[in-house]
Amino acid sequence: MKKYNYINIGLLLITFLVSSCVEDLPTKYDFTGYQYSNLDANAGQWKLILHTSNEQIPLPIPVAAGSPGLLKELADAKEKQGKATSAQREAVTYWTNNPLLRWNEIALELATKYNLIPAPNPDGSYPVPDPANPSKYPQFPYSHPPYTSRMLAYLSVAQYDGLIMAWQYKYKFKRQAPYQLDPQIKSSYENNGLFSYPSDGAVVAIASRDVLTAMFPLEKEFLAQKVQEHLESLVVAGINVSSDVEAGKLIGTEVAKTALSRASTDGMKNAQTTRAKSDSIKNAAKERFGWVWENQETPQRMVGLVPLFSKVRLWNVPNVEAIRPGPPPAPNSPEFQKAAAELKQYANNLTTDQRRIANFWNDGLNTYTPPGHWNRFAKEEVVASKLSPVRTARVFAYLNMAIVDAGIGCWDAKYYYHYPRPIQSIPGFKTILGTPNFPAYTSGHATFSGAAAEVMAHFFPVNASQFRTWAEEASMSRIYGGIHYSFDATAGLTQGRQAAAYSISRAKLDGVD
Amino acid sequence: MKNHIRFLGLLCASLGIITIAHAQTPLDGLMMPKGEICIALQYDQVTWDRYWEGSTIRVNQNIGNFTKQMGMPMVVGGITDKVNVILSLPYVKTAASAGQLTSVQGIQDLGISVKALFLEKPIGKGKLTGFSNLSFSTPASNYLSDYMPFSLGFGANELGIRAIGKYELDKGPYFRASYAYLQRGATEAERDFYYADQAYYTSKMDVPNAFQGQLTLGSWLFNYRLRVEASLTTIRSTSGDDIRVYSMPQPTNKVNFGRVEGFAQYYFKSGGKGFGLIASYQQAISGRNMGQFSGYGLGITYQFKAF
Repeated sequence: MKKYNYINIGLLLITFLVSSCVEDLPTKYDFTGYQYSNLDANAGQWKLILHTSNEQIPLPIPVAAGSPGLLKELADAKEKQGKATSAQREAVTYWTNNPLLRWNEIALELATKYNLIPAPNPDGSYPVPDPANPSKYPQFPYSHPPYTSRMLAYLSVAQYDGLIMAWQYKYKFKRQAPYQLDPQIKSSYENNGLFSYPSDGAVVAIASRDVLTAMFPLEKEFLAQKVQEHLESLVVAGINVSSDVEAGKLIGTEVAKTALSRASTDGMKNAQTTRAKSDSIKNAAKERFGWVWENQETPQRMVGLVPLFSKVRLWNVPNVEAIRPGPPPAPNSPEFQKAAAELKQYANNLTTDQRRIANFWNDGLNTYTPPGHWNRFAKEEVVASKLSPVRTARVFAYLNMAIVDAGIGCWDAKYYYHYPRPIQSIPGFKTILGTPNFPAYTSGHATFSGAAAEVMAHFFPVNASQFRTWAEEASMSRIYGGIHYSFDATAGLTQGRQAAAYSISRAKLDGVD
Repeated sequence: MKNHIRFLGLLCASLGIITIAHAQTPLDGLMMPKGEICIALQYDQVTWDRYWEGSTIRVNQNIGNFTKQMGMPMVVGGITDKVNVILSLPYVKTAASAGQLTSVQGIQDLGISVKALFLEKPIGKGKLTGFSNLSFSTPASNYLSDYMPFSLGFGANELGIRAIGKYELDKGPYFRASYAYLQRGATEAERDFYYADQAYYTSKMDVPNAFQGQLTLGSWLFNYRLRVEASLTTIRSTSGDDIRVYSMPQPTNKVNFGRVEGFAQYYFKSGGKGFGLIASYQQAISGRNMGQFSGYGLGITYQFKAF
């Protein structure tokens, strides 16, 4: 009997050991504050996107060093730093001295949270989110790839314009940072000597909060709590005094207003159409080409995803026709047959590596979508290159303008050509990925990725070939997954690259790359 | 004599019970004597046409009728009179009657289990027995766990520790209760970002641990040639997220369920040696983040003295 007791004790021990080695899984990008590779002293002269002048938002002239007002602020900052709670110190570590990256990460998380497709009503119809009543099911927004791409563009452009203005004033007023003015104040980050008035962190915090609150109205309280934590951390970290923060808030508020005013009239509110409008778009394609895409779900979705996203205002591409590809091969043409045979071939002989690629790039419902995926790559690249906040904002602004322009062009092609998906055209075809609720040609993955890779290649030329390889892989992933033909992908990559070219040539006007 | 028959008779019985998520775990109250081996081939099939999304029932016409079939060879061997080893290696196939997602099939998890008898005590007109059991299962192929509900299994190691108590009357009826803790590891997805109540930047997915309890009433009939049981099983995950609205399940989900089951085993020869047959029926009575399943199982067993 004793022998069995030993066995039992052994079993308990093993269970304990197994349970004690479960690790915490990462919920954010693991990086800390860093020394900027360049302070970008002349960034105040870079080209604004939505504003006309780098002093368009007036700031009060900061009180001088040694003045009683600033001394009091420094004393206050010192006290806050001395009395910081462990939660406040953790916040300093979390936000880092390039907090735009955290706000971008928060944006991706919200995009993911709201990327759920509406479920059918009992009568087989489908409800649509209502921006006027965001909490009613289905919640507003449905953060699908077009929505997310547009949201990221507004976020990034507001951040960028705000930081150009911040840099303009920093180098105009040249107020030294608290840790330089008072030796008892320690910077929690590298002492890089960046002027502190206005606080670039506060610009980013407020601009991001305001844009994201408009884009995700149900997250208002969550974002308010984030912004409070972030603003507090700027003083606790020893890099700003309260007047720096207040001045930054002024800029953040105004740039968000400008961005949101553009957003309110950019055509997005009409992108999801009525059934009648959707039918007329469908009929136009039928008359033009003789084919038409139909949703294959049960119950059938009678209106595809945002048929009029193509009408949303572009950022840098002059018009959708400028990047519209030629028509896809007609169903049952030899070229089509070849592409269909290729899909069947993959479906029947998918390798482990091809399956992995299909799933790695799936970025479907309940994810941050392909635009989010490329923003994540950009974040990692920015940290690796130790970019300053303003140069970081520049990368994201041009990246996300190119991505949303590519998306608008892609959606134009999708509903202009209204091309059927493989599950519609190939009888009995089964896939490992879910087929989205919009036409096939051109591939959104290919278009978004083609655009993103080119912008990344421009800003990070050392890794250009890596980005282009990723874009090709993202395009192929949809073919492995059985939801796109190869010509959807090829045309999409080209279309995306063309969209990016407009964004890149605008970026070149700064003359800093 | 009767006890002896009971011992022999048994073993193959370990085989009847299938859980929906993974291979069978041996939770009966039987023991094979030293040198006896039972081999079994078991077929189980469960279907569902609605599932619990969190705790809400959802019908999805893009899945239609979902079917999971499992063919499982199993071996139970008596190392000593008081220690048995059980091995199993299921082959699983899943498919949906509607929608366009492709079905999958393949080898699921290798299961190894050791059961030890630690208590045997006559009480009144029957006998009380106690067992402990340690089980381990591990994916035996590179199947993708992050393809639910089609995935063959949850794609993670599982270590189970279990206590089983049984009181059996000399006349044949018995009552059995078991309780287990199932410790699961992480599974590997093919994407490195996912959402489970918050964003995760990793391809590792934590499969929730679970408690499993079972109550069984059964009886031997026809001079120990037939055994029938009715049981109630519950699985409770200790963590995990809910399936999001009209979204796909994933291995991180908090899976709970309650199940009733009927089970019968027949031995062609009294004493347990030779061939036997198993039949079972099971049905979910409650659940969270899983199909509202029902299904049956059929098995054939062969028991012999090996050493």
